Amino acid sequence: MKNRIKVLRAERNWSQADLADKLEVSRQSVNAVETGKFDPSLPLAFRLARLFELKIEDIFNDVPVDHD
Amino acid sequence: MNCSPTNLAKKRYTLRLSLAMVAYIIFLFGAVYAFKLSHPTGVLAYTLAILPALPCIGIFIIAGKYLAEESDEFQRMLFTQSMLWATGLTLSFATLWGFLDNFIPLPHFQMYLFFPIYWAITGFASAILRMRYR
Repeated sequence: MKNRIKVLRAERNWSQADLADKLEVSRQSVNAVETGKFDPSLPLAFRLARLFELKIEDIFNDVPVDHD
Repeated sequence: MNCSPTNLAKKRYTLRLSLAMVAYIIFLFGAVYAFKLSHPTGVLAYTLAILPALPCIGIFIIAGKYLAEESDEFQRMLFTQSMLWATGLTLSFATLWGFLDNFIPLPHFQMYLFFPIYWAITGFASAILRMRYR
């Protein structure tokens, strides 16, 4: 799923590791979600939204991502 | 920072796995020596023979506990997918060997080897999947 996590992180000057710490997940998990290779569950999407103080739909866009 | 729930779950998993491996080594050597020295029979022989298998069975319980305790859904998904790959490949190999052995004389395959094969495939699949999601 397409998302704006990379941009939102950059705006806050957070590394993937910083975001992972805040979300209490691994850095690989943040990377997998950020690159659109792994769709987060609804609870994780809500945690992300709360952290960025945005709505889920302001972070994620359900346009399919082409991995190839 | 280093004690996020996902790290704690992994630490517990590693600790339990290490304990199970130590138990396995002790039980295996114990059983081998007991059979060499005293040639046990009856219930004692059966008990000694299955002792090394118990920590191996425990490792599946440990893996299940890890999945229950791991709060990171991506890590859970990776571990589950790795074990599914191992399950599929190990059972496919066992089925193939079983049918081949039924019709063609083949060297006898030691059944206990399926356990290390299963976990070797799990480890390999985990490495491949991590590369895929990098």
